[in-house]
Amino acid sequence: MAGTSYGRRVSVPDISGMAPGRHAGASMPSAEVRAADDDLPRSPVAAPVLEMHGIDKRFGGVHALRGAELTVQRPGVVHGLLGQNGSGKSTLLGILSGQLRPDNGTILLGGTRTVFRSPLDALRSGIAMVVQETAIAKDLSVSENILLGRRLVRSPTGINWRRTHAKALEYLHLLGLDYDPRWPASKLRPDERQLVEIARALSMNARILILDEPTSSLTEDEVVHLFSAVQKLMQQGVSVIFVSHRIADLYSLGHEFTVLRDGKTVAQGPFVSIEPEKLVELMVGRKVASPQPKRANMRASSAPALALQGISVPGVLTSTDLEVGQGEIVGLAGLIGAGRSELLEAIFGIRPVGDGVLSVNGEPYKPGVPEEAIKRGIGYLPPDRKTQGLVLVRSVKENVMQVSTLGRSRLARPNRGEESRVVSQTMSALNIHAESPDVPVNTLSGGNQQKVALGKWLVAEPKVLLLDEPTRGVDVAAKQEIHEHLRRVARGGTALLVSSSETPELLALCDRVVVMFRGRVMGSLIGQQATEASVARLAGGEG
Amino acid sequence: MFLLVALFAYFSAAYPDTFLTSTNIMNMLTAVSVLWVLAMGMTFVLLTGGADLSVGAIAAIAGILLAKLLGAGLPGGLALILTVVVCGILGGMINGVLIGRLRLSFFLVTLASMTALTGVVYLWTDTQALVVTAPVATQIAIDKIAGVQTPIWIMLATLLVAMYVQARTYFGRDVYAVGGSLTAARLAGIRTSATLVAVYGVSGACAGLAGAIAVGRIGSATPTVDHAVALDAIAAVLLGGTSLFGGTGGVGGTALGVLFIGVLLNGLSIAGVASHWQGVVTGVILVAAVLLGERGIAGGGLGRTWRRLTRHPPNASS
Repeated sequence: MAGTSYGRRVSVPDISGMAPGRHAGASMPSAEVRAADDDLPRSPVAAPVLEMHGIDKRFGGVHALRGAELTVQRPGVVHGLLGQNGSGKSTLLGILSGQLRPDNGTILLGGTRTVFRSPLDALRSGIAMVVQETAIAKDLSVSENILLGRRLVRSPTGINWRRTHAKALEYLHLLGLDYDPRWPASKLRPDERQLVEIARALSMNARILILDEPTSSLTEDEVVHLFSAVQKLMQQGVSVIFVSHRIADLYSLGHEFTVLRDGKTVAQGPFVSIEPEKLVELMVGRKVASPQPKRANMRASSAPALALQGISVPGVLTSTDLEVGQGEIVGLAGLIGAGRSELLEAIFGIRPVGDGVLSVNGEPYKPGVPEEAIKRGIGYLPPDRKTQGLVLVRSVKENVMQVSTLGRSRLARPNRGEESRVVSQTMSALNIHAESPDVPVNTLSGGNQQKVALGKWLVAEPKVLLLDEPTRGVDVAAKQEIHEHLRRVARGGTALLVSSSETPELLALCDRVVVMFRGRVMGSLIGQQATEASVARLAGGEG
Repeated sequence: MFLLVALFAYFSAAYPDTFLTSTNIMNMLTAVSVLWVLAMGMTFVLLTGGADLSVGAIAAIAGILLAKLLGAGLPGGLALILTVVVCGILGGMINGVLIGRLRLSFFLVTLASMTALTGVVYLWTDTQALVVTAPVATQIAIDKIAGVQTPIWIMLATLLVAMYVQARTYFGRDVYAVGGSLTAARLAGIRTSATLVAVYGVSGACAGLAGAIAVGRIGSATPTVDHAVALDAIAAVLLGGTSLFGGTGGVGGTALGVLFIGVLLNGLSIAGVASHWQGVVTGVILVAAVLLGERGIAGGGLGRTWRRLTRHPPNASS
């Protein structure tokens, strides 16, 4: 089928390549989606489910949308919305969900012109949105979260819990979920909570569900879980507008797409009609260099930059051995619970190590507190930039200089000239877009924020840099820029250890991929051996 | 900023003879000198996302300590310095260590230390006031240097030192980082526990200085603790634009906040408003000022302009 062949040409992960039977209960997305496509009856000129024409929106001097268009033809399709940060995606969705009023343009639902005066209007018209920040009350039960407020089943004596839970269970079943509706939401994993939000949308009779970056913090198996829920939605005739930076996901799940750039719709159509590279080109507006081939030779060096022997963390990691040479980029692959993040945390000193020996450049090193790790030349980019990697309310300059100035006396005065030089060098090297180095980091887009978080470590010139999900929630162009810079840094002699849930990222970036499963290193793949399939096999526990 | 000027202008226009005299202005400033010093230290604590409820008790202890040291014959200057340092250590070691190293809630810890230290005050004084006659007392609170009363010089000095530390030292940056995101600061290698111990130490030291000034003004160390001053200081800091959650704000704004309160209280008493009503009016105006500040209707909000000037002097190359 056309869809899967595009999957092979560019490193788009082919989920169907995973061993069958592994994810019992979750259907294989690609094959079935195409089949559904052909099966839908040709309805005689029914009005499209949703049409947005000529949408204009200004925010003061910023022209966020200039005549944007979006059309969802039939019910039960997955419509991918693509666009870089700043393309107007969030604004368009804000208008569709009733949070913003367009300056111009029309919205038609089923052929009827509609105006939303508030998000409630949009909800009543059947449009629901699930965003990245989970809107779940952790201490309430799953049922309460689904049937929030008025919709709990009442009887003359008050809330009828039995019937409420039964009703919630209905919606959970519709999505193929088996959670006990009486559980407090805090008992569920973040990805499961997201599914509860989708169940809530269903319970409000949503006909159009907007999913805004639902996969950016999910592991591969959680993604598959989400996809099967989305397919159930399709079966109910719900149309899903799916926003994602992960092109591969969109190809395996989506039917049609709309690409926004600079506030305009530059392309629309079915996914089968376009190749991924062309799609990315349309998003970015220029030809984007394809990922560079992995470097074949390694710089020979005396001692490995980082060496682990028998490192264990009680309950999480069993005797782990690992080596990263100077200038080498080693990837860590594996499912959730495999222990990747925990390994990085242990090396950096924020997770207590049980047994084992570590050395940096041949010298023994005992992990203690972050400050010590940094003194030994180890840097760590945490997976969550908002709560761990950056101090959001402070300026770009302060964030960038944070680590490199650690050694100085606390009563010393920062050298303004030196700092502005270093910061502007960093900003241009990483192509960070910000009004000035003095603006708070929370005014930057996700990709730029991540670059600041990374820049902070690069300024400190570590010998070993540990990275956990370095391009999570980052748009395609920024992702490429970050990868390119990481390669440059490695060429300069820094050893990189990169953990990522995106196998294609590891395959494109790393010289070697180490795969973990349940706290153990299963194997190390180099060169030709390193493929999606081989990584997936080891990640799943097969020898 | 705008509101402060407006308020000042109003009172000047309404009561030119009594309000706008140099004597009155100086009195107005010295009246808030204690609050000012307390608020300077409190700013640092609030910047880390905490608050120090025990400053009233520490100030009281400072007064008693000073009185006792002077009574024991120590020279004025030495006694003063010792008092401030001891209070700083007190604040840092008790509040700072419990909050910074043991990671206990600032609210619980400073509330507990306030209670405990209040008890110490009663025990130590046997509920007797201690009259202080040593010259240093009047020197610090009443005398004038170059025509301006000493407390005002102290206010200026503390402001300048605080502004320097906040904007021109790595410690200042650490304070803002810890307040902005404790986790991110720790992961970047910043010694967050040391920073927290230090800010509560600073707050304690400021409380010590404030207590000394108070003793000077009254002439004796009273065996009572004014618990309200802590909240007054917090109010002044928040009025000045520092966020309750930490990470943004600064002593420049706090200065404006204290001045605002000073002008308000002074103006109200000149206007003949009964002292009980003063409390009500002050409360209402505080809320109004913070609201207007948030919404920016007053054109940038109290303290925001000042903060921009004091925290980020223009770069040579931006």
